Amino acid sequence: MTAIDWVIVVLRPLVPVVGALLLVPMLTWAERRGAGLMQDRPGPNRVGFFGWSAFGLGQALADALKFFFKEDITPDNADAFLYTLAPWIVMFSALVGFSVIPYGSTLPIAGRSIPLIGADIPIGALFIFAMAGLSVYGIVLAGWSSNNKYSLMGGFRSAAQVISYELAMTTAGAGVFLSAGSLRLTEVVASQEASILRWNAFPQFFGFLVFTISAFAETNRVPFDLAEADAELVGGYHTEYSAFKFGAFFMAEYVAMTVASGFIVTMYFGGWSLPFFHPQGLLGGLVSMAVFAAKTGFFLLTFIWVRWTLPRFRYDQLMRLGWKVLLPLAFANLLWTAILVRTGIL
Amino acid sequence: MSGARLVFDLAGAVAIVFAGIMVVHRNPIKSLLAVVVSFFAIAVGFVMLSAPFLGAIQVIVYAGAILVLFLFVTMLLNLDTESASSDRRPFQRGLALLGIVVFAAILLSAVRRSGSIVGPSGEPPATGEIEPLARALFSQAALPFEAVSILLLASLTGAYLLMRREPPAKTGSAENRP
Repeated sequence: MTAIDWVIVVLRPLVPVVGALLLVPMLTWAERRGAGLMQDRPGPNRVGFFGWSAFGLGQALADALKFFFKEDITPDNADAFLYTLAPWIVMFSALVGFSVIPYGSTLPIAGRSIPLIGADIPIGALFIFAMAGLSVYGIVLAGWSSNNKYSLMGGFRSAAQVISYELAMTTAGAGVFLSAGSLRLTEVVASQEASILRWNAFPQFFGFLVFTISAFAETNRVPFDLAEADAELVGGYHTEYSAFKFGAFFMAEYVAMTVASGFIVTMYFGGWSLPFFHPQGLLGGLVSMAVFAAKTGFFLLTFIWVRWTLPRFRYDQLMRLGWKVLLPLAFANLLWTAILVRTGIL
Repeated sequence: MSGARLVFDLAGAVAIVFAGIMVVHRNPIKSLLAVVVSFFAIAVGFVMLSAPFLGAIQVIVYAGAILVLFLFVTMLLNLDTESASSDRRPFQRGLALLGIVVFAAILLSAVRRSGSIVGPSGEPPATGEIEPLARALFSQAALPFEAVSILLLASLTGAYLLMRREPPAKTGSAENRP
């Protein structure tokens, strides 16, 4: 391999991961402006650049700087090692997911055809499930190591919630693997390329519903943010955190949202493909990336939209929904997909 | 020594070291975390043996679900660090040592009989790994597979029955507790 090949190998997973990180300030801004829109108030609209208000985009940068300059506190009786480790576990588990999601077709550059995916591994989907499941360690350990009963309660809630909803999510996802015949995410996309009716969201609508709802629960977003429930638990698992350690939790939430959106798009909305438009070459590669970004952006906005629309679940409601509604629905979807595949419709 | 072999051996060493930490660490939470790291290393070992599916399942099921449950319970019980280590139990220690020696002997003889030590084959990860596994699980191994499922279901029901309390007088607080 020449030096250029090595650069490509390094850049392929780095592009979506860095992209997701750079998206975080934009998302915090979109979240607050979205909240403002829904609550009939302006939201942050003053902090700009050099006298230009830039719709308040400067606020996002100011908030990021604030994380660096605040005092970094470790409580006296906290377990310092785990307390420091916890936010980075959450951050890591959120970031690595993007390295196996295909974010475009192929890009022909300098006589090479570069597949736009970090690593096309045969168990791509399982890799994302496995890594997303790890974030619960960060949350539970943050809660436990803080030596604060509210933090601990948040950690407990998160553990119970993630285990319950992971089950529904993987069962719903199994329907997609059944129709694609593979766990490789590039093949999942390829199986949906033919027409818009092959997008899994249509034949497996309930699977899509269960998967998306579970994704909200896995990322601890409203209406499933019981782990931080500010009205009951102060801040839940991150009550004691400040400065950049809190910033890491905060960023991880948005990165996890981005990965979840990209995963939903790949599983149920044809990934980077457009059913009626297949440009080739360089243009095709660029268009496919834009299509993936647009679809992912739509789901990111949905995450924000839901947050400012729905109230938080109560704990027993959360458990009832997960075990008595979503899981049976996911199994029904699996059966339905099996029938479709067996009869040759899919 | 190839790169794959190096990673495999390193993962094996990490798995053993952290299993050791699990046994000797005084803090039950840290012990559990050592098991998590050890299981991770085993998952890496599976991947290096061209079985990425097993590796992923190892992480999802053991590290991602079962050990989270253990962690949950250990935190709930709030085991005291001091009381866990005060009891020295000399008799059991001797027995444990004997157990280690016997187990090591069995392992060694098994390795010697098979003639070779398992290592990474260097082959690319098998793409069609999941299908043969599923076929074997649902055809040849269908009976033991179902038997284990029924056993698990029975123990689950048993555990529920043992833990079941009389329905509380309408306070409404019991079911909100995690």
